[in-house]
Amino acid sequence: MSEMIRAEHLTYEYVRTVEEEKGSRSETVLALNDVTLTIPKGAFVAVLGHNGSGKSTFAKEINALLKPTKGVLWVDGMDTSDDELLWEIRQSAGMVFQNPDNQIVATVVEEDVAFGPENLGVEPEEIRRRVDQALETVGMTAFRKDTPSKLSGGQKQRIAIAGVLAMEPECIVLDEPTAMLDPMGRKDVIETIHRLNKEKGITIVLITHYMEETVDADWMVIIDDGKVAMEGTPREVFSQVEKVKGFGLDVPQATELAYRLRQMGLAVPKDILTTEEMVGALCQLQSTM
Amino acid sequence: MIRDITIGQYYAANSLIHRLDARLKVVAVMIYIISLFCIGSVATYGVAIAALAAVVVASKVPLRFMLRGIQSIFVIIVLTGIINVFTNKTGTPLWGQDWYLITTGGLSMAGMIILRLIMLIIASSLLTLTTTPIQLTDGIEYLLKPFGKIGVPYHEIAMMMTIALRFIPTLLDETDKIMKAQQARGADFETGNLVHRAKALVPILVPLFISAFRRAEELATAMEARCYRGGEHRTKLNRMAFGAIDYRAMAVCVAFLVVEVVLSVLL
Ligand SMILES: Nc1ncnc2c1ncn2[C@@H]1O[C@H](COP(=O)(O)OP(=O)(O)OP(=O)(O)O)[C@@H](O)[C@H]1O
Ligand SMILES: [Mg+2]
Repeated sequence: MSEMIRAEHLTYEYVRTVEEEKGSRSETVLALNDVTLTIPKGAFVAVLGHNGSGKSTFAKEINALLKPTKGVLWVDGMDTSDDELLWEIRQSAGMVFQNPDNQIVATVVEEDVAFGPENLGVEPEEIRRRVDQALETVGMTAFRKDTPSKLSGGQKQRIAIAGVLAMEPECIVLDEPTAMLDPMGRKDVIETIHRLNKEKGITIVLITHYMEETVDADWMVIIDDGKVAMEGTPREVFSQVEKVKGFGLDVPQATELAYRLRQMGLAVPKDILTTEEMVGALCQLQSTM
Repeated sequence: MIRDITIGQYYAANSLIHRLDARLKVVAVMIYIISLFCIGSVATYGVAIAALAAVVVASKVPLRFMLRGIQSIFVIIVLTGIINVFTNKTGTPLWGQDWYLITTGGLSMAGMIILRLIMLIIASSLLTLTTTPIQLTDGIEYLLKPFGKIGVPYHEIAMMMTIALRFIPTLLDETDKIMKAQQARGADFETGNLVHRAKALVPILVPLFISAFRRAEELATAMEARCYRGGEHRTKLNRMAFGAIDYRAMAVCVAFLVVEVVLSVLL
């Protein structure tokens, strides 16, 4: 089986109670609306969408923190609405959240990394091995005895990633892991998850607001009002600049520049994603002029 | 300034006391504190002080770290002393009359209480200074386990302590930020009478509580995502091990108790 995640007509409704003068009534918010989607094993998938489009809800569905209202979601072949499989699903699809401060449990780095395997009932010797390896992988071995509150945001986020790694998951879902970090921390975290994907074959689902972080992904999904609005390789998606902007999203800077140059009548390709490609295209343009 | 508060402050060093098992240290400190309230003679106090001094030296923790604990409750110590001076009217009168009569009995009582309090604080801060929060909570969890049968949620208590210790620095930072933000808007926390100052705290406490609840909710979700489901079937990265030095230290504690009991009975 080569599918990591498969969603079929996945729908989720939040129910919230609204206080009114005449008492309270309940109101439903349709956060995911008939999502059908497949993510193959070993893929690096970026998920984009404007605020409130349902990205976090989708992430929580994968982790079985939320159960589908309608439709089915399989994680590594396991149906997330099956209570019996809950812990297995959470072990195989780990999750990293936005705020690094609110997901670290312990007062010592290595104790925090051990939290997941401890919950799974792994033997102490094996926990030790996994903790050492996870810290090594994210490059935080030197900090293993430190207090998390003294680390930088990017370092804390790498600890959170190590904590998930120690559970030996097949897939990691990251919900805007870089939103609260400075550019350095962002680079560290993104490089780390790319390495996990390439070296360990871990499937990555990266939810982000930063377009630059998506250009190296294998696949891109744009969610709009709870629906899959666009899907494809970053190159395919970003070459449709107007459509992407229609969903309230930006395109990478280089793509934006290429788009404007084309509008001015210059013959640059429309699927430019990075600055290097832009430079290449401009040099070519110059030599033909 | 808010940063000065020392709760669960660990002082990293490689000493004999640091290496002892947390369970032993917790029990020893408890016994020591109880014994402080049972002894009365000069000789027994002498032994208790000598024992404490020996442990302080062996711990390699600079004395000023322990004195910081005393500083924070200095007012309480002084107040307790004053109350004792004026409520105990035994012994020979020295000065004053009626309610403000000071007697030798009152003075010695006050001195003794203050001494007890200081020894109590030094003993308990020795525990937190030489034991990492993790070891401490693990130790307490272990010691409370027998009470699980009568419904004491020992694992939950230990987990709550861990999380509290983890979030104290985060929330202190946040308080600092909120205070600065309010000060920038002209809030004044330093002057005015008590009521005025208490009122000035409201704009700090409200955002602090809101943020703490939001954090708690996010943390709960994150813990669930990492397969947390209570204490059952849970394993630990570090096993607690009761070694040779722990048995020796236990023998020293028992010897201390025997000496104190014998001295109390004889004198
Ligand atoms: N706990 C909740 N109760 C009720 N409605 C909710 C709840 N959480 C989210 N929603 C609603 O569900 C919709 C989707 O929210 P979601 O958090 O999945 O969006 P998002 O794409 O992650 O947004 P953002 O980019 O801001 O993180 C929004 O309209 C939101 O208001
Ligand atoms: Mg979100």
